[in-house]
Amino acid sequence: MNNMQGATLLNYKNYRYLKVSAAIVLVALVVYVLHDPVGDRAFGGTWLGYTLGVLATLMLFGMMWYGVAKRSITGTPDWSMITDREGEGRDLAEMKARHLRGKPPVNKGLRGSGMLQEWLSGHVYLGISLVVLATLHTGFHLGWNVHTLAYVLMVLVVLSGFYGLSVYLNYPRLITLNMGEDTLDDLLLKIAELDELAAARALDLSDEVNVLVRASCQETRVGGDFLQQLSGSQRNCPTAFATRHLLELGGQYVREEQRKMLRDLYSLLMRKEKLVQRARTDIMLKARLECWLYLHAPLGIALFAALAAHIVAIYFYW
Amino acid sequence: MISCLLIQVTRNSQNLPICKDSVISGETIQIGRGAACKIHLQDHRISLLHATILRTEEGGLYIDGENNVTLKVDGFITLSADLLPGTQIEVGPYALQVEPSDGVHDLILRLELVHPLPAALAVRVPVSLSELGWSKRRFGFGMAAIILFLFMLLPLLPAASSALDKWQSGLPVTLTEAWSPGPLAGGHALFATKCSTCHQRAFKAVTDEVCTGCHTRVSRHLNKADSAAAAFAGMRCTHCHIDHKGREQLVLHDSSKCVDCHGNIKDKKPGTALGNVRDFVSAHPPFHLTVPDIAGSIRYLQDDQAKRGEKSGLKYSHQIHLDKEGVSSPQGDTVMQCQDCHKLEESGKHFVPMTMETSCQQSGCHALDFTDPVTGLAPHGSERAVMNSLRAFYGKWLSASADNRASCKSLSLQDCANELARRNAAATLFRKDLECGECHEITATSDQEVPWRVTPVRINRDWQPGATFVHAKHDTMKCTDCHDKTGSKVSADVAMPTIGKCRECHAGNHPAQGRVASGCDSCHQFHRSAAIP
Repeated sequence: MNNMQGATLLNYKNYRYLKVSAAIVLVALVVYVLHDPVGDRAFGGTWLGYTLGVLATLMLFGMMWYGVAKRSITGTPDWSMITDREGEGRDLAEMKARHLRGKPPVNKGLRGSGMLQEWLSGHVYLGISLVVLATLHTGFHLGWNVHTLAYVLMVLVVLSGFYGLSVYLNYPRLITLNMGEDTLDDLLLKIAELDELAAARALDLSDEVNVLVRASCQETRVGGDFLQQLSGSQRNCPTAFATRHLLELGGQYVREEQRKMLRDLYSLLMRKEKLVQRARTDIMLKARLECWLYLHAPLGIALFAALAAHIVAIYFYW
Repeated sequence: MISCLLIQVTRNSQNLPICKDSVISGETIQIGRGAACKIHLQDHRISLLHATILRTEEGGLYIDGENNVTLKVDGFITLSADLLPGTQIEVGPYALQVEPSDGVHDLILRLELVHPLPAALAVRVPVSLSELGWSKRRFGFGMAAIILFLFMLLPLLPAASSALDKWQSGLPVTLTEAWSPGPLAGGHALFATKCSTCHQRAFKAVTDEVCTGCHTRVSRHLNKADSAAAAFAGMRCTHCHIDHKGREQLVLHDSSKCVDCHGNIKDKKPGTALGNVRDFVSAHPPFHLTVPDIAGSIRYLQDDQAKRGEKSGLKYSHQIHLDKEGVSSPQGDTVMQCQDCHKLEESGKHFVPMTMETSCQQSGCHALDFTDPVTGLAPHGSERAVMNSLRAFYGKWLSASADNRASCKSLSLQDCANELARRNAAATLFRKDLECGECHEITATSDQEVPWRVTPVRINRDWQPGATFVHAKHDTMKCTDCHDKTGSKVSADVAMPTIGKCRECHAGNHPAQGRVASGCDSCHQFHRSAAIP
């Protein structure tokens, strides 16, 4: 994609939302500087504080609406389908059709992918400007209370969004570079085939060789838990271990036929190791591409809860 | 020689057994992956030479595992086992069952692969985060539920029950603590754990009645009857006194609200004597001085008052008393300081009123003595009190001895004492420029008993009652920096500093280089009871 899509995201309609967000931030900053609150105490309770708070809340609802609307259009709450290699090169409308195959689209206010792209562009830029507005809303008064909790959650949501934007713009290209024409399932199939070949080839070789091959076949992990996926590696990978030590066992064979079998086996394991590394890299890139959403979306929901508590607290004890 | 019937069992698609018999014989029967093994098992989980079937010296058969190989016999791990009918031996993934002898073969073995290799050799593990089964929604709504419970539901509970409110106020961490946007100021911190002390009604702003419930002596800026009081309509205490902003932050030091009215007070309150004020440096009228008057007090522009001079009724020369060479006293020449007479009150604002005893006679100076015909000391008091004291003094002296009464001749003792008193008072005390007359203005009267009148002394205690000036805060300066009276020869000289003098150190509402920012409340109080002119 994704350079094209990334570019579309950032410069949608000639940077419309960058301009809008910059204007909002600029106006807010100028007014804040010119604002002379009673006692020089800028906080959320001044007229400017209330204005900034209301504006920030409305923007938050707008950005939250993007997540809801996106789910209704694409059937997925994240960008994984966009970055899925299978989806590469297709536009969002095609993906929408794929994801909603068999059922009519539930369009809640967004008219197709173009609108979705526009909302995403706005989501990114308004999210950045939200940090400025909310910070000015606080008047730089933070403490151990629900009000600051809402602010901190907002900052965390935006920071995770920053990370998401960064990977969204860069990782799809890396995924394509790594995988070429293959898919992950292709690689896993090839790896399984190589495992079978290697196991069969090792049957006529020594037990030591078979131990290495068996470990390579049965204990090599492609993927795994959260950290293993993010790291894209396996500690003491049996396949890497086997390729390193296989040739050391060649000295015991005197017959040329056995040596040739060992070389063939080595070749098979080398091919497997490269495939395993590519598969792990693919899993790693996709995991890094998606992991932020496991913070961004839940923290966004938590933010709304904290925001509700913040607003109720302010007006309940007026 | 061992003769063995090997029955190899495989399974069809319906999982039904398919048996294939073969006869093996030899001195020993090897089991393994190696091509030389008589029982050849094509599985990499089997060693090249996994185990060997041997005959004992007694003629029995047993199986012996190779080094690093373990066998499982009837579920127990062992290195070797007798091959008796019914014995079940696990050889790697294979099960080897010894069948009852048929009388033809020494041994009948049933061999079946019971742990086949999986279709894919490698174990499948999650290859994407979505396969981990994590739920963003569950995580998010879980956090939201916790936040709503801790920070919305719990803080609301005290409002529902006063008993609960009272109970929770004693907790180390109160239920409402998370709602407090900041520390309460000063004494308000005492009831920080009980929000309902001030926030008495939900969704209603804190009322003035809540404040005045405790602060009963706070005066209004304007009386309700004042026409200008309408300017404060709709304002509440909390508009200026914003709490939850820190321990020391409750009093508003901001001139903007003052300037809202006083910036154009001439229009807002026609006929007022007050001048428009916007900033101490750039827009503040010259100082006025307030002096006592028969009707109470009168305010004059400072320049006018300087021309008028102070009419204190006292004759006093600061120049003489502050002479650098010293002023003569019974202890010799004494260099006096301002503080010798002007002693600061504990409040640090005003000075203790001076008295004759503490300020003028403390070193033996200004003793009111008379000498004819005997020496005595007159008290400092009213003219009548002085005369009564003199009469009493001479009456006592005359009655002390006949010699003393000799000069009375035909006069009675009382008349003689009165005469001595009058004569001494005229000669030594009530003189124009000496004794009493040295400090006081004395005029003659027709009163027979007290034929003099001393002009009452009225030293102005507060020249600017509308302002608060704390001398103690200015103790880094010399008195004469602001009140230069070292050259003053008469008490009529007024030495109050002008606004220009204050501006040398004080900036206006905003800080300036080398000067301290000074808002309205630096000198003026909002809650004051003084009448507004």
